[in-house]
Amino acid sequence: MAKHLKEQSQPYDGGPQRGVRGPDADGQRSQPDRVQQPGPAAVAARDLTVRRSGNTVLDGLDFTVGTGAITGLLGPSGSGKTTLMRAMVGVQRISGGTIEVLGRPAGSPSLRSRVGYVAQTSSVYPDITVEDNVRYFAALFPVPRSAAAEAIDAVGLSPYAKRRAADLSGGQFSRVSLACALVSQPDLLILDEPTVGLDPVLRVELWDRFARMAEAGTTLIISSHVMEEASHCQSLLLLREGRLLSALSPADLQRRGGSEDLERAFLALIRDAETREAA
Amino acid sequence: MIASARAEALRLAKWPVTWLLAGVWLVLNLSFAYLFTYLSFRSAVSDGDDRLAASLLSQVSMEQLPSTLVQGMPMFGGAIVLIFAALATGSGYGWSTWKTVFTNGPARLTAFSGTLTAIAGFVAALVLSTLALDIAASAGIHLLESEPVEWPAVTDLAQGTGAGLLILGMYAAFGAALGVLTRSPALSVGLGLVWALVIENLLRGVAELLGPVEAVTDVLPGTAAGSLAGALGAAGETAGGAPSAGGTPGVLAILDGGPATALLLCYAAAFMVLTAVLVRRRDV
Repeated sequence: MAKHLKEQSQPYDGGPQRGVRGPDADGQRSQPDRVQQPGPAAVAARDLTVRRSGNTVLDGLDFTVGTGAITGLLGPSGSGKTTLMRAMVGVQRISGGTIEVLGRPAGSPSLRSRVGYVAQTSSVYPDITVEDNVRYFAALFPVPRSAAAEAIDAVGLSPYAKRRAADLSGGQFSRVSLACALVSQPDLLILDEPTVGLDPVLRVELWDRFARMAEAGTTLIISSHVMEEASHCQSLLLLREGRLLSALSPADLQRRGGSEDLERAFLALIRDAETREAA
Repeated sequence: MIASARAEALRLAKWPVTWLLAGVWLVLNLSFAYLFTYLSFRSAVSDGDDRLAASLLSQVSMEQLPSTLVQGMPMFGGAIVLIFAALATGSGYGWSTWKTVFTNGPARLTAFSGTLTAIAGFVAALVLSTLALDIAASAGIHLLESEPVEWPAVTDLAQGTGAGLLILGMYAAFGAALGVLTRSPALSVGLGLVWALVIENLLRGVAELLGPVEAVTDVLPGTAAGSLAGALGAAGETAGGAPSAGGTPGVLAILDGGPATALLLCYAAAFMVLTAVLVRRRDV
């Protein structure tokens, strides 16, 4: 959407680095043929550890996420996806290691307008219109007046712009939240389970929109606990119990898991990891 | 901060709650300050009670404007503004919009300063609207009764307007602090109303029996607000909180104007500092 209007982000002079770098299923660093081009990463974590109330929520994560692609953050509920996203946004206190976003420590003030974050719960005022909600967020950033209309259009809500948010369906309501995050025209968009509760048609529609945004240069990190959604991503970070199980592409996941079915392949990786741990 | 204030002003202006609460206050103010007094005046005229009629007409005269303007603010106006501010900040947490603003938008304190500025703008607009409505009502009644309209001194009018801003401003800061403290619009409104309408009055009742409690009740936010209105000449309650004849609930004669003003400024500042610390330090 509005990203189309922006020139390619300044810090990416090394060119876009698509895909992810992290451990394989066996805990080794991924092979160069899956890492592709060098250059600054959208997100780079080194031994990232988060502990809460004595529990280790994220356990020494090492990975990089390239720019201009969709990276899926996948794993069962409770695997640490939201905590990792909060760490990327800079609102999660980390216990160890580092995490850099767009070349700066996560949460740096200069990243605020460059990183969009949509939490699981919609962040929308229900008793004002869609347009007013998006204009509210647009007013916080130095964006052109047309940015609100473009963001609404990007999520397919132009016909509903004048409606009160409370009068929308659940799927439309969550898309208002997405439009509010898009209006600042972020370089990196972090979406926490954006397709939860949406019907299949809307899910496909939304993934198509994400793909177009990635083509236009926006980096997207999207969490989901539905493995079939991994097929929409160029690269995957697979989390389980706070550990990074693997960082690879969907095709690699299918190959390594020995199944075309991504969920089966993921389960195969888990079993393989458990076997190695037991040994 | 200007961008944040503009965004919040846009949101609050489009918010039905803003207009509903402003409308409720203006109707209440018009009804209790002018309409019922005027109806009583007409009734006294019909009964041939000239003395009472003259007294009632003087209550709605332009000269009384500074005290009439603030007489309903310590209790009803304050409660309405408290509800507004608590909803304005509490709803940001309730609907998770603060989460997005605080992560994607300007720095937290900058964003929240914008919110407080927008709320202050609402308070200023409300006081000025009340003043305009009161002028129109008083002038209308006197023209209707073919009585001369005598304007109050400009300094008196400025004093009344300033006092109104201070009283409602303190309650707005109180409400905003509660909204942030509880992170809930419903809980903050409930707690704020219970404090403003119930607890302070109960404590004043207790203070009549227990001397040490009186030292505390004399410096409560409501006491300061009521005393400032009382210092401007609004008829109010006795020191113990019991309403005097014809007095307005919430208006008190406990503190002089100076200490009441200072206390209100201190409370407003304290509430804003508390709010800023909470916004700055707490997790979203």
